[in-house]
Parts: sequence; C-alpha cells; structure tokens
Amino acid sequence: MLSVNNLVTSYGLIKALKGVSLEAKKGAVTCILGPNGAGKTTLMFTLAGILAPDAGTVSLLDQNLTGLGAPKILRKGLALVPENRLVFPDLSVYENLLAGAFTQSRAMAAQVSDDIDKMYDRFPILKARHDQPAGNLSGGEQQMLALARALMSRPSILLMDEPSVGLSPLIVDEIFAIIKQLNEDGMSILLVEQNATKALQVADYFYLLDQGKVTFSGTPDQLKDDDIIKRAYLGGG
Amino acid sequence: MDMLQTSIDGLMIGSTYALLGLSFSLVFGIMRRINLAFGACLLFGASLAIYLEPILGWGAWGLFLVTIVGVALASAYVERLCFAPHSKRHGAVTAMVASFAVWMQLDEISSQLLPQRTHAFQGIEVPNFWWGEIFVRGDQLLHFAIALVSILFLYLLLYKTRLGLLIRATADSPETAHLLGARVPWLGFIIFLWAGILGGVAAFMILSADGYVTPLFGLWSTFKGLIVMIIGGVGSLTGAVIGGLILGLVETHAGAALGAEFRDMVTFGLVFLVLIIRPGGLMGVKIYRTDSLAQERV
Repeated sequence: MLSVNNLVTSYGLIKALKGVSLEAKKGAVTCILGPNGAGKTTLMFTLAGILAPDAGTVSLLDQNLTGLGAPKILRKGLALVPENRLVFPDLSVYENLLAGAFTQSRAMAAQVSDDIDKMYDRFPILKARHDQPAGNLSGGEQQMLALARALMSRPSILLMDEPSVGLSPLIVDEIFAIIKQLNEDGMSILLVEQNATKALQVADYFYLLDQGKVTFSGTPDQLKDDDIIKRAYLGGG
Repeated sequence: MDMLQTSIDGLMIGSTYALLGLSFSLVFGIMRRINLAFGACLLFGASLAIYLEPILGWGAWGLFLVTIVGVALASAYVERLCFAPHSKRHGAVTAMVASFAVWMQLDEISSQLLPQRTHAFQGIEVPNFWWGEIFVRGDQLLHFAIALVSILFLYLLLYKTRLGLLIRATADSPETAHLLGARVPWLGFIIFLWAGILGGVAAFMILSADGYVTPLFGLWSTFKGLIVMIIGGVGSLTGAVIGGLILGLVETHAGAALGAEFRDMVTFGLVFLVLIIRPGGLMGVKIYRTDSLAQERV
C-alpha cells in the first residue's frame, strides 16, 4: 500500500538517507529498526512531508506523495505520530483531538464528534481527562493522545516514530497492546522503534536501517534464525 | 461610602486598562513577540481621527470609528513590516528592534497630523446620574459596557470558533500544527488586526474620558500595557483582564487616599512587588511551566 522507492534525503551535504526502498502492506504492522543515527526519524519526516527528498518516490494506494507538503500528505491518508508526542500542552485533551481533525471539512462536524466519541471509547483515560490541558498528562497518556489525534484525520496508514521513547516498561507494554489492537481492527501501521524486542512482537515484517540504507529485511521469524544480525543490531539477545 | 465610590470609579477605569492590556498581551501571548510600536499605533489612530474629524464631520462616533480603523491599519502595517519577515523562532529580537524604528516613524507622522501639543478629544455624550448615593459618570458606564462586550467577543472568537482553535494550536506549537495541516498563513496579520481593533477601542475610551490627546499618549499607553501585562501575568489573556482591573482600582484608591501625585508611585511600587514576589505575574505561572517543559524536552 505504501511503497517507497530509492528515497534520498540530505541535510545540506550530509546524506541521511542513501536510497531507501521499502513496502508497507495493507493491514500489516511494518517495523523499521536501527541504531541511533540510522536515519529512522529522517525517513519518517520525509514520508510525512516535513522534509523534502532529493530523489526517489513515495506512493500510497497508487497516489504519488513525493515532494508534497505535510498538510497535503495528511489529506491523502498518511498520518504521523511524531517522536516525543508533541501534543499541544495548553490545549485541552478535547481540543487536541479536534485539532487532529483540522483536515476534515466543516461539513463533517457530526462525523468528527462521532470520531471523538470512538477515541474516548478506545482510550477511556482521555475521556476522564477531556477538559484538562494536555501538558498535565503523563507521558503515556500524552502518547495515547498523540495517537488518538493522528487517528482523527482518518488515515489509511499510521506512521509512528518511537512510541516507546521515554516511557516506563509497563506503559510501553500498554502502548504496544494498543498498537496490536489497532492493527487487528484493520489499521495499517508503519512503526519505527529502538526497542527491537517489543517491536518484533507486533511486527509482521521488518526492515533494518543502518547509516541511511536498508541492510536487512524479513519476517520476525527469519530473524530468530539469524544470530549475527541479532547481535550486531539488536544488542545480544 | 467613599470607599465604594472610589472602587466603582476604579473598576470603570480598570475596564479600559483591561482592554489596553488585552490588546498588548494578545501579540505577546499568542505570538511571543513584543511590539514596541504598540502605543505609537494607538497615538496614530487617535491623531488620524482628530485630523479627519473636521473633514468628515461625524462627531464623537466618527472619532470612535476612525480611531479603531486607524489603529488597526497601523497595527497591520507594523506586522507586515516588522513581524512578518521575522516569524521564525529566532526572529524575536530583530522584530522588536524593527518595531522600535516604526514607533519613531509613527510618532513623527502623528505629530505632523497634530502640530499642537494638546488637542481636544470629544467623547460620546451620556448623561451622568446618581445611583443611590453613588455618582455614576454616564460615559464611563458606556465605556465599561463596551469593554465588557469587546472582552466577551474576543473570548468567543478565541475559545469557541474553529479559527480560534487553529490560532491557539499554532501558538502552542507551530511545527505540530503544520504537521496536522493546520497552518494559518496569515496568523500574525489576524492577531495584529485584532489587537489593533481592541487597542483602538481602548484608546478612544481613555482619550474621550480625559477629553484631550497629547503626543505623550503613545508612550503612556505602551507603559500601561506593559504594566498590566506584568501585574496580570506575562502572556496570559485572563491575566491581562485581571491586571487591568487591579491597576484601575489601585490607581484610583491611591489617588483618593494619598493624592494624585502619589498615583504613579504606588503603581510602580506594585509592579516592583509583583516582580519580586511573583515574577511571572498573577496568572503567568502556566507560561513558566510550559517553557520549562519545553526546555526539558530539548
């Protein structure tokens, strides 16, 4: 559904992505693993239109996304949950969710409030805190809010950049349970993670990214047989 | 009874200060920018109104209208010239210095429009009356009502409309708002226009209550705007309203109890105290919190 072909992105003279190709299948959780500085966040930013690629193509459901700006890409059905959550701290939880539906037209107001109710059902803690400023939420709650906010745009694929970063192990378990649940409900997910053990538990397919290149790809089962890669990238095991 | 009379007078004046402070804080609270040409825009609007008054001949309501339009135009001009080119994260100082230059320019234009030092400034005539034993100035009651309506209007605009949500989201985190497809390309322009309209209303109310305008009015209103913002809470709109009312009350009480010459001394004493005890202002703590959170994230 999402296919990335030979993507090159650079910061000035430094090439952060040196020709990345990958495919995220419909209804699957596709995972991108890799060490710090591998280009994971750059890849996410390029896909979401925050950074413009130098070369290569991105397409989603046969629509060409290459070089479009972030708002347009969001309208075409690709939503990013950024690293560190980035909720609006002074806006209430409810307003944060409304902000997620900015791309919906005014005529969709009824549908938007319907969607908010659905988010409250999925994340009861957000309902309990609906009128509190998002800055007062805990890290895990903010992650859920950022996730719910991204879903408000009704994406066909959800990109998540390090959803576990800075969260305690119990909360990380909870977040991954939510990701699994979302996927079972039919959402296609492209996930970037440093927490490889956790990520591989939910992934259907994964790519290893190192120094701006895909160095390995396969299903999590394949990895179990490949001890060298496990040691090299995923820290012993 | 004197106490009550003074307090009511203070609240009436305080409501115009609240509007002035709101106009000043709107730019800082939402865009994190200081507009030094704030008072100069107000003076320009008032000068334009007096200059055009004999030509148009619309009387007090004409002054009211032209002042508002003049201040809004000057505000929009300041935004396009000083703030729009420096809207990036690090443009705050450049924009502030640029607004200083435009302050001088607007002051000069105003003094060309009004060559004499003092010009009469007509107010809207409303009869005064006694309410029990309390004397109520009709024009001040009208101003109080206008201030109330303006504040309510701004509140509804910011907190109950889609545009308001867009603006607050963009103010909170421009990058995230962009990611969500919520960019407001004319954000600065809209904010300065709103601030200009509020400032114009405040300028008319203050000048018509005084009955005259001098070239010092510009600097005076920048000071009052700053003081209200410092007392009420840096960047907080609720704080601006509360700060304005407090300033009005303190000024009139100090004037009544100690004499007019002590008024400013007491005001600045209050500012001094606030800066020592609660440097963020009465409602400014929230800004502190989010700022320190932002620091932690980096």
